[in-house]
Amino acid sequence: MTDETTEGPTIVKPKGLFAALEIDTRLLGMIGAFLVICLVFQVWTGVNTQILRDAFSWDPFAWLTDGRFLTPRNIFNLTIQTVSVAIMATGMVFVIVTRNIDLSVGSLLATCSAMMAMTQTLVAPGWLGLGLEHPLIAPLAIVVGLITGLVIGAFHGWLIGYLTIPAFIVTLGGLFVWRNVAWHLSGGQTIGPLDGNFQLFGGINGTLGETWSWVFGLIAVAAALYGLMSARRTKIAHEFPVKPVWAEVTVAGVIAVAILGFVAILNAYEVPVLRLRRAFEARGEVMPQGYTEGYGLPISVFVLILVAVAMTVIAQRTRLGRYIFALGGNPEAAQLAGIRTRALIVKIFMIVGVLCAISAVVASARQTFHSNDIGTLDELRVIAAAVIGGTALSGGIGTIYGAILGALIMQSLQSGMAMVGVDAPYQNIVVGVVLVFAVYVDIVYRKRTGS
Amino acid sequence: MRKALVLAAALAAGVSTSVYAQTVGVSWSNFQEERWKTDEAAMKAALEAGGATYISTDAQSSSSKQLADIEALMAQGVDALIVLAQDAEAIIPAVAAAADEGIPIIAYDRLIEDPRAFYLTFDNVEVGRMQARAVLAAQPTGNYVMIKGSSADPNADFLRGGQQEVLQAALDSGAITIVGEAYTDGWLPANAQRNMEQILTANDNNVDAVVASNDGTAGGVVAALTAQGMDGIPVSGQDGDHAALNRVALGTQTVSVWKDARELGRAAGEIAVALAGGTMMDAVDGAIMFTTPGGNEMNAVLLAPVPITRDNLSVVVDAGWIPQDVLCQGVSGGPAPCN
Amino acid sequence: MAQNNIDRSGTPLVEMRKMQKAFGGIRAVDGVTVDLYPGEVVGVLGHNGAGKSVLMKMLSGALVRDGGEIYVNGQRAEINNPRDARRYQIETIYQYLALADNLDAASNLFLGRELVTPLGFVDDARMEAETRKIMGRLTPNFRRFSTPVAGLSGGQRQSVAISRAVYFNAKILIMDEPTAALGVEETRMVAELIDELKKQGIGIFLIDHDIHQVKELCDRASVMKNGKLVGTVDVHVATEDDLLGMIILGKMPEHLAA
Repeated sequence: MTDETTEGPTIVKPKGLFAALEIDTRLLGMIGAFLVICLVFQVWTGVNTQILRDAFSWDPFAWLTDGRFLTPRNIFNLTIQTVSVAIMATGMVFVIVTRNIDLSVGSLLATCSAMMAMTQTLVAPGWLGLGLEHPLIAPLAIVVGLITGLVIGAFHGWLIGYLTIPAFIVTLGGLFVWRNVAWHLSGGQTIGPLDGNFQLFGGINGTLGETWSWVFGLIAVAAALYGLMSARRTKIAHEFPVKPVWAEVTVAGVIAVAILGFVAILNAYEVPVLRLRRAFEARGEVMPQGYTEGYGLPISVFVLILVAVAMTVIAQRTRLGRYIFALGGNPEAAQLAGIRTRALIVKIFMIVGVLCAISAVVASARQTFHSNDIGTLDELRVIAAAVIGGTALSGGIGTIYGAILGALIMQSLQSGMAMVGVDAPYQNIVVGVVLVFAVYVDIVYRKRTGS
Repeated sequence: MRKALVLAAALAAGVSTSVYAQTVGVSWSNFQEERWKTDEAAMKAALEAGGATYISTDAQSSSSKQLADIEALMAQGVDALIVLAQDAEAIIPAVAAAADEGIPIIAYDRLIEDPRAFYLTFDNVEVGRMQARAVLAAQPTGNYVMIKGSSADPNADFLRGGQQEVLQAALDSGAITIVGEAYTDGWLPANAQRNMEQILTANDNNVDAVVASNDGTAGGVVAALTAQGMDGIPVSGQDGDHAALNRVALGTQTVSVWKDARELGRAAGEIAVALAGGTMMDAVDGAIMFTTPGGNEMNAVLLAPVPITRDNLSVVVDAGWIPQDVLCQGVSGGPAPCN
Repeated sequence: MAQNNIDRSGTPLVEMRKMQKAFGGIRAVDGVTVDLYPGEVVGVLGHNGAGKSVLMKMLSGALVRDGGEIYVNGQRAEINNPRDARRYQIETIYQYLALADNLDAASNLFLGRELVTPLGFVDDARMEAETRKIMGRLTPNFRRFSTPVAGLSGGQRQSVAISRAVYFNAKILIMDEPTAALGVEETRMVAELIDELKKQGIGIFLIDHDIHQVKELCDRASVMKNGKLVGTVDVHVATEDDLLGMIILGKMPEHLAA
């Protein structure tokens, strides 16, 4: 949107700072909203802490420093609490972009979770004779879960694409069916504890540790810088206008600081001493005096990052993604352009099915057991996350990072309120209001920018 | 119409005409749910022991079907009715009809808001008391967290009331402090886990005991505690979930209050036989007057549930509620029977 | 503008014989035969509902015919979907500007036929470069390459659609009222473009109901009424009144009836 007035020279006259940086203003708005939420809860928890300690002061700076919301520990909590919904929300973007809806993701998650739970507690150890905690159990269970999600998703897609039953109806049916298939599979029982290796995907039970987190951070920064540079090189090669160098450097700097800062924060959350001591005892050693260890990046968050990158690449760099957005923008045009729209619908729902299975791994591993009600109402949270993240129900518009940010905003509202003692009914009221307000802001924004 | 109903009911129940002196009709709200099969077996056994025939219908979660079901049972000439009500109020016309014909009606497990019915259930307030009692015994001082059930479920508040009764004295003396309290939306373990994580974060892990209202929420709580290396502090629950009983054996959960469905079924059978035989409602063994949330005074028997702790784990195995290998999975050198 | 020097002695570029299409009980197209020679513009005329769009959609693959045969360069052609039509180098420019509004010009131009990198990813930079080249020829002032086409004017959108046909070397072009949404200046531009394409030997079916425009742009006109072909006439011989009479009355004027 910034390079429409150029006449061939390779430098654009920036109209403003953000215009020069070519950053999506909508993304900035969401990040801004997220930061405001963080600050409010930081102050609120700060005041609460002071009251708890009987040391209340009127110093706003002290409220900030005493807050519990923006601590490494809580940021760690927030990220792992967000993962399951965020993974499914990335798939929901594709569904909503093509003017469909999926009401069955929560139930599908439950069925995948039940299949995996039965595989790792009954089928693999018993029928296959592997015994409990065999190293093959976790991979086997995950493969079973992924296949389950893929097959059910393909089936949904076939009903919608080829039999032309509306997605709302198919997935509403799926909402009932898969929840109860899950119940049937587990015989109504809570299944657990799950396999130890499987639990590594649950968040705090499996992290990369400090060193590997730094390695990950540096690789991510290198990849981001390489991406920026090659994009610029391509533009120059084709004689397209490019950003001024200072703008490129600024963007690169912000990205590098954000990634490394995130890693630093997660590394700063130290494993509780009690837990460390138990780990040492389990190995038959004594914990050295003053020993500490940071958690680092949770494997579940790593999985979310992989999903986010893969889904963004699909959305922006593959024909599949291009067709998904074309179908959402103008179904007739897509068909006339020779796109196989029915097969496309099947592919989209297959992607959603696989993502539900990945979410099921994370969600059940986090609980350390499979429960019948796992994922209940997740469909609504997932849709809300995608919509708060700027996915338009009228189709054609939506971003993967938006959906993830949407999930993060919802989760931070809920977790923040749980932290300051706002009870569940009021949390839901706030989340509902925020959902409607976010969509309203989006409508106003789109009118203003005329897109 | 009436004949058709009789025929349909007879087919549904799949029984021949009565050979016993007494017939007891049971109307289930939704027999598809796994747990009622346990109840049914115990109920049948008690009825047979009392010399009565068991016939039943399944309303399949429809309150209107349940009304028709009960009419059909009465048309077959039952001498007493046991009703698992789909809806506490929608069922009242059936109670009125039964009262008109002089057929005693037992509200089984779920309340019927009508003083003409006889209420049989486990004492939910007592469940709350047992949870708090077990946790308080294990941790008489310190910081408590209360993880309640769903705010939409009245039972959540009954439970919380019972917990408060037991904790009141310790709260008054300052021995314990409640540092966090949260409803669990939809009773979901995932929500309980998130709430517990946030409460732990807000309190720098200064938590000594958790009173959780059922086994699902207890599971979420234990997962959050384990993440902090705090598993092992007292945590309560209820329902006798297999996973929870396993946690009791492992030592990560203190108590799971168990409502033995067979106990409930047996009591229902016995009371039905007594009422059918002409015993007055207030003369039933152990009957008390119970005040319902709707303000009705009714005759009731409230069974005491069993708190399962590491000291009496054998009870659930002996009762056939859980296989020993499931109970003891991953436990080495634990309490009986896992030693 | 159009010159009457079309060589119709060879094989027609397209021949549609005895085409049939019914919707429910309605015969939208009933036994229609038309042909098109290289470098020729054939106007397809008729009222709304005469069946002209349905006839053309059977050629573009948007609709599957119930009966009849299509020949391209004398060879029998099986056209069952838009992809088949593209294989025969048949391109269509639709009346309602069939573009995905949320995508930019390059994505629309290459929709369904994206350029990809060796790794199989879409090569946006190369597609944008190609788009700049081709659109630079048609509309030299066009600059908004990276905004969604929703923000473009009717003429700009039409030039995206036309660029698509030109870029992919259309041999046969179907234009469904290409100037309906355009202003005077833009209409003139499209007219010039049609002339340009004619010179390259491209055959064009032009669906229109502006008789004046048909007289100006076309070589022949096939008139339809109620799903049937009234007749095909040379527009340099037929007067505007003759054409109007064919459209309204459904009869060939006597002096043209051969």
